Amino acid sequence: MYHFNKILAVAFIILLTGCSIGGEKKIKIFSLEKPREKLNYPMPTPLEMQEIYWHIITSKNAQEVFKKLEELGIDPVLFGITDKDFQVLARNFAQIRQKLQETNNLLLEYKKYYEDSGKSE
Amino acid sequence: MLLGKIKMFITVLMIAGVAGAGLYVMKLRSDNAVLKANQTKLETAITEQNKVLEQQKKDFSAILESNKKLNNLVTTFKKDLQDLDKRFTKKNRDIGKLALQRTKSIERIVNGGGNNASRCIELASGAEHTEAELKATLKSEINPECPALANPNYVPFQ
Repeated sequence: MYHFNKILAVAFIILLTGCSIGGEKKIKIFSLEKPREKLNYPMPTPLEMQEIYWHIITSKNAQEVFKKLEELGIDPVLFGITDKDFQVLARNFAQIRQKLQETNNLLLEYKKYYEDSGKSE
Repeated sequence: MLLGKIKMFITVLMIAGVAGAGLYVMKLRSDNAVLKANQTKLETAITEQNKVLEQQKKDFSAILESNKKLNNLVTTFKKDLQDLDKRFTKKNRDIGKLALQRTKSIERIVNGGGNNASRCIELASGAEHTEAELKATLKSEINPECPALANPNYVPFQ
């Protein structure tokens, strides 16, 4: 009986502590780096410019030019600029073109920097 | 009786000593495990830091290269504008007077220039180069409005 009580006591202790023998399972926390989604906008569609014709009118050829326009069925009206303004217009166009080129290049450089390196934030 | 007590005391002392030594060893092992874990963490941190430094180096060189490209572009722009101004004013040229004298020729030149300028805008907006534009290496073959943009293989005579 004495031994039985001893065994019972040991069994009872094991029963009470049994759950903690293996210990609690530890929760593992890990972080996975997921790169930011790419914006992937297509590049802007290139412009297709329409051709225009420049008429040069002087005091000598004005009548001839207007006559030719009438013959071609075009209204004999011309929107004119002086030679100096033509120079300004050419410069303005060049500047617009350069700004366009600069912006497009910047866009490409940004794309290259943030997408090619694979470290986009 | 006294001897018995002394024996008991020594026994307790020995047991306590062994238990203390055991506990100390366990503490040392635990410290060792912590130190090993720290070492691993430090090594990982160093590896990560090295990776970050390497990436930073790459980023800096990419930024420098990009800046260089854009600066070159701005220099080209200035040169293009100067060339355009020159075309109008070279050798005291007066395009108005020239147009009075040689109306048809100037009309042809102006229209050619206009078409070239339009093509420059198309290219600047991202249009593909034609084969002729890419192959152009002579001054007579290039688009004089924007040679750097239109004819990448043309090297102007300095």
